[in-house]
Amino acid sequence: MNKHPNDNPDNYPRLGQILLWVDSKKNVDRIVYALYAICALLFAADFLYHKHTEIQIEKIPGFYALYGFFMCAALVICAKGLRLLLKRPEDYYAPYDTQSEEYPEDQLERIDHDA
Amino acid sequence: MLEQIPTAFLFFGAALLIMALPQGRMRAALLLVVPIIAGLQVWTLPAGIFAQQEFFGFTLDLMRVDKLSRVFALIFTIAAFLGNLYAWHVRDTVQQVAALLYAGSAIGAVFAGDLITLFFYWEGTAIASVFLIWARRTEGAFNTGMRYLVIQIGSGVVLLAGVALLYRETGSITFGAITLGSLGTWLIFLSFGVKAAFPLLHNWLQDSYSAATVTGTVILSAFTTKLAIYALARGFAGTEILIYIGAIMTLFPIFFAVIENDLRRVLAYSLNNQLGFMVVGIGVGTEMALNGTAAHAFAHILYKSLLFMSIGAVLFRTGTSKGSELGGLYRTMPLTMIFCVVGAAAISAFPLFSGFVSKSLILSASAHEGHYIVWAILLFASAGVFHHSGIKIPYFAFFAHDSGLRPKEAPRHMLLAMGFAAALSIAIGVFPSALYALLPYDVEYVPYTTTHVITQLQLLMFSALAFAVLVRTGIYPPELKSVNLDTDWAYRRFLPKIIGSITRTVSNLWTANGEFWQRRISGLITSLHNSHGPEGRMAQVWPTGSMVLWVAILLGVTLIINFVS
Repeated sequence: MNKHPNDNPDNYPRLGQILLWVDSKKNVDRIVYALYAICALLFAADFLYHKHTEIQIEKIPGFYALYGFFMCAALVICAKGLRLLLKRPEDYYAPYDTQSEEYPEDQLERIDHDA
Repeated sequence: MLEQIPTAFLFFGAALLIMALPQGRMRAALLLVVPIIAGLQVWTLPAGIFAQQEFFGFTLDLMRVDKLSRVFALIFTIAAFLGNLYAWHVRDTVQQVAALLYAGSAIGAVFAGDLITLFFYWEGTAIASVFLIWARRTEGAFNTGMRYLVIQIGSGVVLLAGVALLYRETGSITFGAITLGSLGTWLIFLSFGVKAAFPLLHNWLQDSYSAATVTGTVILSAFTTKLAIYALARGFAGTEILIYIGAIMTLFPIFFAVIENDLRRVLAYSLNNQLGFMVVGIGVGTEMALNGTAAHAFAHILYKSLLFMSIGAVLFRTGTSKGSELGGLYRTMPLTMIFCVVGAAAISAFPLFSGFVSKSLILSASAHEGHYIVWAILLFASAGVFHHSGIKIPYFAFFAHDSGLRPKEAPRHMLLAMGFAAALSIAIGVFPSALYALLPYDVEYVPYTTTHVITQLQLLMFSALAFAVLVRTGIYPPELKSVNLDTDWAYRRFLPKIIGSITRTVSNLWTANGEFWQRRISGLITSLHNSHGPEGRMAQVWPTGSMVLWVAILLGVTLIINFVS
């Protein structure tokens, strides 16, 4: 593991090199546009088939889509508000409470099982 | 012959045997062989009651095999196998023995046909599992383990009290359907509720699963809570209050999960949320709902282990599981990332993944029984779980901003364990009939209908859309180094504070009281000394004759006593 900026992508696993495709801003935009398109299609799909419903509210076209979108947005905004109330520094309870540590490798007598 | 040995004893025997073996591959192999043998045994056992034992005038049923106990025992053996495979590299005897005893106790509890056996195994899971937390050997983990142990043992003690009261009431120790009413039944319910992480009783789960060892958390995540789900399904199916408890359980953890930084803790919150679905299923209590609970528990153990394994691999390689420290790991850990995404898709109930065919049973059952508000809450919770488990976990660990960390890919045995769990999660999603065949009742439900697939995709894709929009507009809360208050604040801050202030007040009062009387008494002595002492005013008028008189009286009294006796 290194943390210096001049790391070499040639050393990544093959799959990692292929996935570097998502590293560019342009490709991330493409993914997001694709998501917009999928959402539009799924919304439109509601008018194209006969919905078997159990509850009245399900009959509203795009109910699941709208419910998913707005409830999730509300979830995040509420949670953000909750953070004002609940957020504390990491050592709030005890100094080493959430301290992350190097995994105790000396205790594992780790033989090289690594790929 | 094998059916005469309770499945749990296979694990206990192996725990003894393992200490005789040298540390190394032999041990690790034994850890894998035992769950396989146990799994075969569970698979082939006929229904019925085996291995009865006399115990102080009670008949204990160590092996009650029926469809409900079999499906839970089967998934427990699979979970034990996957967990031990994932822990192939571990050379720590404590963890190896604890893992075996823990899995054995959980399976023993599932097969327990009476409440006394259940109690023994119930406590067994508590005692064995705490060593998986302590094995991290940090100060934080030690303290967490202590809190965990107090709560888990407490649950067992409450269970024992409930069983004793119930026995006095009914004269039976059979573990069957229980109707809430008397104190004894409520105590049993409460004890199950603690282990099932009911709202307000839940915080041991988030506390401990984020503190245990890398491999310990994977093993912990499978057993304790699902054992409680099994116990509730066995004892309290159709208890209406469970519907509302379950609905709240699905709801509140998702808010905490969104703002939590430690990704293992996020997973623990989403585990809590998934338990809520199962509890609702038990509360609804119809055949379809109970099938849903069993199916969801089965699928859930697999994808939850998978998610804990993938984040565990990240922790193993980088030393942290905090969202604020991670990011961009897909470059060097692509396989772990893919397995994590499979787990995320399964928990989010994408079509063709296991969550899709199990969770929908519970949602349909609750709508079918007319619990519309609960249904709406569950739907919200489904969208929410996609949001924090499905997107947040892979996104902040493997994508998001580049943390600069370039760890190696997870070790091969971890990848293998993740691969198995991922393959099973997909297989259940693609061939649901195989899972449905294991369920306690016959299943008529068809998960793959046009309506279900499209509405589910709408729900998930628009949740993803909400995430994308919020992240791109910068509204999404960033991962920050922090802890969030939860109910553990009550016993880690509030109660100690109250107890501390009571202690201070009482000790101050005690001291003040003592000082007051000391002052009064020493004042009295001084004034007596002043007046009656040799230098005092009274001493001036003491005649010598009165002393002689008193000596004479003393002599007289002595003589009389002597004479009388």
